[in-house]
Amino acid sequence: MTNKIKIVIASVIVVVFIVVGFISFMDNKVEYASFVDAQKKHKTVEVKGTWVKEKDAKYDAAANTFTFYMKDDNNTEMKVVFDGAKPNNFDIATMVVAKGKVKDDTFYAKDILTKCPSKYEGTGEDVKNTYKQQ
Amino acid sequence: MIGKVLIYISFAASILSMAGFFLAHSGKDKFLGMGRLFFHITSIGIITSALYLLYIILTHQFQFAYVWEQSSTDLQLPLLISTFYAGQEGSFMLWALFTAVIGIFLLNFVSKGDRLEPQVMLIYTLVLSFLTLILILKTPFHYLWEAFPKEVEFGFVPPEGRGLNPLLQNFWMSIHPPTLFIGFSSLTVPFAFAIGSLMKNEYDKWVTFSVPWILFSGGILGLGIMMGGYWAYGVLGWGGYWAWDPVENSSLIPWIVNVASLHTILSQKKTGGYKKTNLILSILAFLLVLYSTFLTRSGILGDSSVHSFVDPGAVVYLVLVIFISSFTLISLIAIIFRWKSLKDLRTESSKFFTKESFLMIGALLLCASAVVVFVGTSLPIVSKATVEADFYNKMTMPIAIFLMITMGISLYIEWRQTDSKKFYNNMILPLILSAVVTVVLIVIGLYDPLYIIFAFVSLVAFFINARLAVRIIRNGKMNFGGMFAHIGIALFFLGVIGSGRYSQETNLSLERDIPKEAFGYKFTYVGATPFMDPNNKRDTMYAFNVTIEQDNKEMTLRPVMFISSFSNGVMKNPDIANFAYKDLYISPMSLEEPEPFPKEATFDLKKGTVQKIYDLDVEFVDFDFGNMEKGGKEMASGNYTLGAILKISDGKNSETLNIKTAFANGVPSPTPSMMVNNRNYEFYFLNMSVKGEEQGGTTARVSIIDRNKNYNVSQNETLVIEASVKPFISVLWTGVVLLFAGFIVSIVRRRKEISLKFPDTVPDKKNGQKSKK
Repeated sequence: MTNKIKIVIASVIVVVFIVVGFISFMDNKVEYASFVDAQKKHKTVEVKGTWVKEKDAKYDAAANTFTFYMKDDNNTEMKVVFDGAKPNNFDIATMVVAKGKVKDDTFYAKDILTKCPSKYEGTGEDVKNTYKQQ
Repeated sequence: MIGKVLIYISFAASILSMAGFFLAHSGKDKFLGMGRLFFHITSIGIITSALYLLYIILTHQFQFAYVWEQSSTDLQLPLLISTFYAGQEGSFMLWALFTAVIGIFLLNFVSKGDRLEPQVMLIYTLVLSFLTLILILKTPFHYLWEAFPKEVEFGFVPPEGRGLNPLLQNFWMSIHPPTLFIGFSSLTVPFAFAIGSLMKNEYDKWVTFSVPWILFSGGILGLGIMMGGYWAYGVLGWGGYWAWDPVENSSLIPWIVNVASLHTILSQKKTGGYKKTNLILSILAFLLVLYSTFLTRSGILGDSSVHSFVDPGAVVYLVLVIFISSFTLISLIAIIFRWKSLKDLRTESSKFFTKESFLMIGALLLCASAVVVFVGTSLPIVSKATVEADFYNKMTMPIAIFLMITMGISLYIEWRQTDSKKFYNNMILPLILSAVVTVVLIVIGLYDPLYIIFAFVSLVAFFINARLAVRIIRNGKMNFGGMFAHIGIALFFLGVIGSGRYSQETNLSLERDIPKEAFGYKFTYVGATPFMDPNNKRDTMYAFNVTIEQDNKEMTLRPVMFISSFSNGVMKNPDIANFAYKDLYISPMSLEEPEPFPKEATFDLKKGTVQKIYDLDVEFVDFDFGNMEKGGKEMASGNYTLGAILKISDGKNSETLNIKTAFANGVPSPTPSMMVNNRNYEFYFLNMSVKGEEQGGTTARVSIIDRNKNYNVSQNETLVIEASVKPFISVLWTGVVLLFAGFIVSIVRRRKEISLKFPDTVPDKKNGQKSKK
């Protein structure tokens, strides 16, 4: 095989790979959005926000869904139905990231990440508290 | 003080060491001793400061902010030790520690003869120098009053620390992070060899010297990555061993590049080809380690990973950026500077059917998969988005298929010239065996065409490598390490096919003592057993006993749930039954309290509002507190009787009922009430709720049971689990073990090879017996 043919074959493979990769990449890209944006798009998006603790949150064992209300960064509130039980650390999370789609004014989440940074890094306040306990 | 001083000394010594090695590199040989001396001072300084950190952790010196933050007195010894690297500062310390220790071995290795010592050690020390600089800026040796000058007064020693995050409290925490860090640290060595050879403008010897180190990194890093996978699968209950999480990915990328470099370096050793490729891959593997550190330590992935990140502050971010850019720049400059000599290095054979070409194809496929993972993982940095796991799965699968083909047939391809007849003859048996096994797999359930192909090519790779390994072992030779690793990877992929594509899962609500069937098993929840958290003796954990019955054989799985006092969150651990060909995996989801009152018959009645329920008009008038003071002592005690006054009309009669409930310790035990003229309904008062108007106002929760109806109620607590069957996952773990074993065998063999080819020379005797072939 001459070098020329080798190069041609190699470039064809590379180009095909890049094109396929790009299409798949765009297909699977999940953007961050607000609830308002999520309502407009019919794609899976990620919404950052906080759990509205005042409103009812419950786990439905029969359907295996956890329903709660979430407020996004723009203070829009929406009902979220998560496909699963209450996530780990949900109660203490300072931030919730829900991945899913909006349908009929409800956000159906297939994935939920909980973030609780304050718990993992101590503050001067925490030290003071041990002070008081003494 | 001691810790900080030791770090400062190490940093200063590293500068002097570099000066010594640089002068030695410039031809002033007498400075080599200075470089070595100060390198030892640097390493010993780092090792001593690490030991000091360990000491203050073991002796619970909570006046140190890091110790207070990460550890506590109630942790068992292995976990107490692991708090060393539970935080940012400590994990940098661990990285520096391993780099220092490996450095001592490296210095010992390169000082035996003509092994690029000044150049390699100069670059290596530079890395160590950067790590000590990070430790100066992000020190684990801050006192509390230095960390929080406003809140904490000088000299204050808290009696107890905050303790270790319960997610990290298990066996794997003790070994997974250190293993990864040894892998990361050791990747500095091939990098130092590559840059060192560029400095010396000499591109042959370094590959031989770095092969055992590359193998070491590959084995350790691979093991560390899969330990993380096992941790996630067996303990954290992610349900799988790999989630394409950014943190997992970021350690996978350097590993793949490292493995790719291993293959092209073997080629260079044999034929002298791929010199540039090898330099570039060895450099890339290290730069990707830095990139990985940047991704996971800078807080940049905060929103997109399940791993919790702490925002480390602007300083660390900046240092990490400088760290990466400096070494990228050094690498680029070195390559550009030597471009002229590099350009002329072209010794690859132009024939396609040579082992050389196939090793290159394998390396390219590996790099392609690294690119896929790199692009997906880096997306959150450049845009406000992430990619789904499906992207990685779809993109890496075709690559893996071609990789398996290459991994199989390349073994029957010769270095210079392949006899095609011999090649086809060799292929017959593996192809037949693979076809037979594939048919068997199809019979037991494999159906997806792409997966059938994937399984088939993995089997071909497996049989070819196994056959050769057997032949080599029979001949009493050592060079079967590569085949072992290949067999491991082939088995790993077969395990991925089974457990990834063909796993089945279902959710089961198990009311206590009532069996339910799934996957041919009978699941029964038989109650919970409380036990004390063995790691910290602080939390009460609950093992939920689930008996599983099939063909009159019974076993019990015990998934665990508990409320952690550290985070006030519910922690869940799965339990797994391992069978030869599958795992039965049980994840606890939640425990539902008994529901004696059906949901559809339970109502929240708002005070003063008439509500239509069935054919009744019901109005909740007010609570009946009796003689009790509202919110007084008696109510606070939780033992009291409370009533709700309801006005009920069924069209004919209108009655007022006062339904009472006795509370014991705040738990209501409602008793039924009935109307005098309508015996169709029972009324229960369940609970009261007094809230602001916006949150629903004052309500009474009542249950109105239609006596002519059958309700679905549970008198017992219900355990909700996710049960799954994962076929062939044991094959996957077997593959991982074999892969690691393959690396070990190869390291031993390559070390021997070096000592034969380049016998040790005594470094002290000048020009005594320099190694010459």
